[in-house]
Amino acid sequence: MTEVDFTVEVCGMAGDGTIAVGGLINEAMSLGAFSVLGFDSYPAEIRGFGRCVTNSRIGSSEIVALGEQAHALISLNDEQSRSRVPFLAEDCMVFFDSAPPTKVTEDKSLLSVLPPGAQIFGIPFGNLAVSAAGSARGRNLTALGGFAAVCGISPDLFREVIGKKFGSKGDHIVSVNLKSFDAGYEYSKSVFANRLGNIFSDVESNAASPRVMLSGNQAIGMAAIDAGLKLYFGYPITPATPIMEYLAKYLPKQGGRVVQMEDEISSIAAVLGGFYAGARAMTATSGPGFALMTELITHGVMAEIPAVIIDAQRGGPSTGLPTKTEQSDLHAAVFGGPGDSARIVIAPTNVSECYYFVLKSFQLAEKYQTPVIILTDFFLDNRVENVVAPKASEEQKACSNVFPEESSKDNYQRYHYSSSGISPRAIPGMEGFNFTATGLEHTEKGIPDYSPETHSRMTEKRHQKLFSALVDLKEPEEFLSGDSLDVGVIGWGSTFGSIVEAVQRLRKSGFSVGALKISSIFPLHSEIIRKFMAKSTVVLIPELNYEGQLANLIGHLDSKPVERLNLVTGTPMPTSVIQERIYQLMEVLAQ
Amino acid sequence: MSRQSFVIIGNGPAANQAAESLRSQGSEAKITMLSKDSFRGYLPHLLPDFISGSIGEESLYFRPHAYYKEKNIFLRLGQKAVGIDFSKRRIFLEHREVISFDGLIIATGGKPRIPEYYQLFEDLMLTLKTPQDAKLWISKLKSVDSILMLGGDLTSLSLTRALLKMGKTIQFIINEDSFWPIPYSEEIYKAVAQRLESKGVQVVHCNKIRRVTQIDENLIEVDTDTCSVRTGAIGAFFGLVPDVRFLVRSGLDIDRGILVDEFLKTRFEDVFAVGDCAQVYHPALRNYWVSIGYQNAATLGKIAASNLLGSDLEALVAPESILDVGGVKVNTSWWTEF
Amino acid sequence: MQEGLWNPGKTISQTQNWKSGVSYSCDPADFSYMKVNVPCQDACPALTNIPSYIRALYEEKFATSYEINRMVNLLPGTLGRICSRPCELKCRHGEAGLGEPVNICHIKKAASDLRGLGHSYMTPRFAPVGKTVAIVGSGPAGLAAAHDLAMMGFDVTILEAFEEPGGMLRYGIPEFRLPRIILSEEIANILRLGISIKTGVRVGVDLTLESIMSNYDATLIAAGCYEPMELGIPGEDLLGVYTGLNFVMDVAKGLDVRIGKKVMVIGAGFTAFDCSRLALRLGAEDVTLCIRGLEEDLRVTTDEIVEAKREGIRIQSLLLSKGVYGGGHVKGVEFFRTRPVERSSESRRAVEPIFGSEFVLEADSVILAIGQAPQRIPGPGKQNDRGVIIADFGNFRSTATNLYLAGDYLTGPSTVIESISSGRRAAGKIAEDLLGKKLKEWVVRIKDAKLTDRQRSWDLIPRVEIPTVLPVEDRFQSKGFVEVETGYLPEQAHDESKRCYLCYLHYEIDVNKCIYCRYCIDNAPRDCIKLVNDIFTDETGAVSGYLETTQWTEVSAVVIDNSQCVRCGECVRVCPVDCISVSRMDLVERFLIEETEA
Repeated sequence: MTEVDFTVEVCGMAGDGTIAVGGLINEAMSLGAFSVLGFDSYPAEIRGFGRCVTNSRIGSSEIVALGEQAHALISLNDEQSRSRVPFLAEDCMVFFDSAPPTKVTEDKSLLSVLPPGAQIFGIPFGNLAVSAAGSARGRNLTALGGFAAVCGISPDLFREVIGKKFGSKGDHIVSVNLKSFDAGYEYSKSVFANRLGNIFSDVESNAASPRVMLSGNQAIGMAAIDAGLKLYFGYPITPATPIMEYLAKYLPKQGGRVVQMEDEISSIAAVLGGFYAGARAMTATSGPGFALMTELITHGVMAEIPAVIIDAQRGGPSTGLPTKTEQSDLHAAVFGGPGDSARIVIAPTNVSECYYFVLKSFQLAEKYQTPVIILTDFFLDNRVENVVAPKASEEQKACSNVFPEESSKDNYQRYHYSSSGISPRAIPGMEGFNFTATGLEHTEKGIPDYSPETHSRMTEKRHQKLFSALVDLKEPEEFLSGDSLDVGVIGWGSTFGSIVEAVQRLRKSGFSVGALKISSIFPLHSEIIRKFMAKSTVVLIPELNYEGQLANLIGHLDSKPVERLNLVTGTPMPTSVIQERIYQLMEVLAQ
Repeated sequence: MSRQSFVIIGNGPAANQAAESLRSQGSEAKITMLSKDSFRGYLPHLLPDFISGSIGEESLYFRPHAYYKEKNIFLRLGQKAVGIDFSKRRIFLEHREVISFDGLIIATGGKPRIPEYYQLFEDLMLTLKTPQDAKLWISKLKSVDSILMLGGDLTSLSLTRALLKMGKTIQFIINEDSFWPIPYSEEIYKAVAQRLESKGVQVVHCNKIRRVTQIDENLIEVDTDTCSVRTGAIGAFFGLVPDVRFLVRSGLDIDRGILVDEFLKTRFEDVFAVGDCAQVYHPALRNYWVSIGYQNAATLGKIAASNLLGSDLEALVAPESILDVGGVKVNTSWWTEF
Repeated sequence: MQEGLWNPGKTISQTQNWKSGVSYSCDPADFSYMKVNVPCQDACPALTNIPSYIRALYEEKFATSYEINRMVNLLPGTLGRICSRPCELKCRHGEAGLGEPVNICHIKKAASDLRGLGHSYMTPRFAPVGKTVAIVGSGPAGLAAAHDLAMMGFDVTILEAFEEPGGMLRYGIPEFRLPRIILSEEIANILRLGISIKTGVRVGVDLTLESIMSNYDATLIAAGCYEPMELGIPGEDLLGVYTGLNFVMDVAKGLDVRIGKKVMVIGAGFTAFDCSRLALRLGAEDVTLCIRGLEEDLRVTTDEIVEAKREGIRIQSLLLSKGVYGGGHVKGVEFFRTRPVERSSESRRAVEPIFGSEFVLEADSVILAIGQAPQRIPGPGKQNDRGVIIADFGNFRSTATNLYLAGDYLTGPSTVIESISSGRRAAGKIAEDLLGKKLKEWVVRIKDAKLTDRQRSWDLIPRVEIPTVLPVEDRFQSKGFVEVETGYLPEQAHDESKRCYLCYLHYEIDVNKCIYCRYCIDNAPRDCIKLVNDIFTDETGAVSGYLETTQWTEVSAVVIDNSQCVRCGECVRVCPVDCISVSRMDLVERFLIEETEA
């Protein structure tokens, strides 16, 4: 059985159907039981035209990071595709329109800048689509057909996903698209008969459980629905908007409500209100919106009201880089806001975790009665993976509210001191349980009180609660580790896939390296992290931010200084950069 | 002024030598090589050995991709020129790209010639010019043991040798069209027939093929004016024809190939033609002459490059000694060496 | 050359029939437009309305298609086989990147072949004018002139030297190319307009030109070119050396022509090819065609070269004959090799011999097919150095009163379609001179139109080549009279007719309605819709160019460049405000007086 690890890019202008083709490739390969990780990039401007690129990495084993070098490029617009040339493998296959409507000069041609090893496949996309379906609009499907034929992918996989994708638009649209696809497929089968690669044809699928193609944002939306979300309040912002869109489509069907608020302040206020009233509520935003929320988040901390907040990070500060990825809200999530306002911050590293972490966040919020912040980022939100279909058990869905004992009735203390710091929480309207919620410092009964003793004790209680939460939070997880390591790499969020891949590659070459994944950003499992740091001769923390925000948070845990790798390019962390850095560190060690 | 741009059409020995020479003589111009084939430059004379399995595919190719990167030569494979506007110095490519040039060397080489009469049966004939053709032969030879060779050119004889080594049965129809540019004669026919028969090849004596019928996938029946023969596959070897059809009516002088003078210049300034696609008048032959053979083409490539850079080198067409036209002795008398 | 036709006269009239939405224009701008935009019709010497007859064939109106041809070129069945097809070189479908030209000629053949037996000819007639015209020669020019004059009411008599009418059509074109039954039918259809013909009358031998002139109001010489040219080299008179024309004519007359086994034909025109192919049919085993220049400069069609080679004919280029040698009977030809030299001001490439390159090619028959010239007919008026009467190319008048020349006799060897055009224009001139007024004129007919059912995908149908008799041996049966090009089957003709862009359609954006959404540009198949700042016109007022712009602030209009437009209709289909109108523009001949019978 042959192993496959193949990256294909589709590049075109907005309007060329680029994203559609990328999506079909992902779906079809997923259907073929390959592991798929895809990521699209759109024009940065919200209106207007620009370049669209999709990147799909397809593997016979689990794919954890983005492909850096494309093995195939489907060019729907050659002038735009010129920008992709630096990211092509030496012997990359290039599919291009061999009969464009107008002549192209050398300085706008894709072929003039390709490396000599590139294998080019000229297909008259438009003309074939016209002949087959009467319109050149199917040219992207023709291109896809050519790609399928040359790479040896069963056309049936594509036919099925084309049927699914366009099915809702009626039989005619499906048939037009199928005809265009078939035209490209048949043309390439015959014209390139002796150049056909069998990249996929003799690969056995890794046949895991039924898989579904999900983006990070979809997984978040699904998890919220499965968790029995009742209320979503939000204000649109890239890259969090798709969560709201998803919920707007599905939440009302199960009796919930989605409300677009006037801003982020009212959104978080409404979420607190929802939980206050005993319903599960959620909001999602990005850095700029999150900044507006911080005051009310600390209100949740002080008043001990649960909340679930997604912070989909993007390039900052301020409006920053709306369509680019970055991991620079960690400080804001952990420390942002007035006072000692400790709250729970967790960060999924892949699409599957997006689902399970959001599911879990409701239980954490309810049990520990405090806002829970989930840090994702543009890359994680928008990338698609074909994950094993996520499914929540009853236990995972269950309500985790800690209600007061019947015995405490009539003597109920909302902020009762306990060893865990958790005070049973009544819902307004529970008979005999006098409910309070206040942003002022308060006594156990909830009466405002600024005495030194009360503030000291209450602050401690609120922090104690978080330490108690550690048992429910996912512990840092070691990957490919050992008793001692030359280089130990610690990572979080969407970067972790690249870390794992880099470490995997280096271990294959015999290096003593390992990785530690930190999913619970706050509170931290300090002991586990410290141990990992101690057994590593060098500790490296790659992050997509300039300040080294995780390194700042955990760097003090071990006496030796940590090595930092910080990129703020707006693009996902490339595996090769991490690999190169580890390699350099190993060289220093060897001296 | 922007950097000069030189374009070489072709990727054979002449084209590659021209590119190499342009660089080695210090030209800093942008050099683009256009090749309609999607594979690297190869040595066609090794194809029969590749078919018989005595050499591997890699040994067919003479230059790695890295070479072009190192020399900063834009090698554009699989991109076919379909026309040239010499007045505006622009080349039109099949995929509708237009590229400009300041200097141009045309070295498109030759392609297998099938006389018009035989084009009716073209689908049933195999040719041998490229590695791709060779692969077709290899797959065909897995299922057939007898081959009918039609022609008599250099390739047909070296392939026959290779096929005999593989234990295949060979029938041969010697065709007068195959000896171009050598005037065909009874003597040549006799010489070739005798040599072939001495090696165990069955020579089919006839004047014309009337009909070719495919009986099944691996059996073809050929009716000639004298007899009817059955064979597994037919190879067509009528020599090469210069691959210059795309330049017809471009203003260049095209006979069979592009007519050039002894400096390899065409009618147009800074435009040269070399190798199997060029034709030069040869006083001793009293005829136009197309260079044949690997070494010769490479030399011509070098000369064209030098002249493009301003030299005035004369191409020595072929030494007088080998070109004894009175007899049959020319340097292309391949059949005497079979 | 066709200035006479293009110049509509002094009066610029525009009439319109509002009810039918049809108008006729003589505006020079419209003629200029037609020239650029219906390039095939402009390229046809007879101005055949090509898109119109192709469309009729597409609609399976074969007889209509035939009649649209016959109105202007008179011999569709004949031309559909042997026309030199200048139109196809100009067909927009053959422009770079658009594919191959439409097979215009063979669609004409199909119209002729596929029209039913019941097809009846319709020729408009004018009242008799009481004038007589004699026409010398019944070749294409003579027949065309006779047809037009008879139609306009003249009393026409043709004098033909041979036994049967048709001239070069009958005696200069081999049967395998043009079956005589087709030709005879089309000639009969012309003669039936009441034209008298006297065959076997050699003007200048049996009858003097002066005597004819004295008996008719006007005389037109359309006697063609029958004087074979000579190379002027030694040995041309040896046994076994033929001139091309005599060889072809002898075969056509059914004489017993003997030819050797190894035949050499010297010449580069259609006649040389005819001779080569006829020689094969007469039993030659080895035929070589020797040309002075390059194969690519041959003026015959590519099909012709391919078919000749397929039949086994070898073409040897860059050869200049130095002498024919042999003792009594020919044995071979001595040649120089030639080399091309710098083109002179004329468009043809010149060659010069390479001295010292002499060599001999053997042959037992040699056919010299290097062209022919008009034969001398003694008569009045100005003559050239060979004593042949000459005339003005523009108005066909010789210096003698009421003596006109047309066709090859006037211009030297040309094509059939040029001769027909020449004959018709000469007829118009004669009528105008004798009556003092024009009877018909060319106008641009403009009609409202709608999108047709043409689909963009039809543009990608590959050119349907005409089927030929195969295997090649079968062509040589029945004395070689087998017509080689068998013609389209109905479905093939239909497929080929779908390929025509129908350039007579005219698309125009109404700038007052356009909202500049650019949908049309995004959906355009090529660079045919332009954002322009300014529009240039030529001296006739027709659009001659655009000042394009990429700056939105400078855009004054979105225009369709009809010279680039392939009439696909995508723009009309996608336009959200329906601001693109379609009209149909035809260049047609219009009668200036009423017809009397139909």
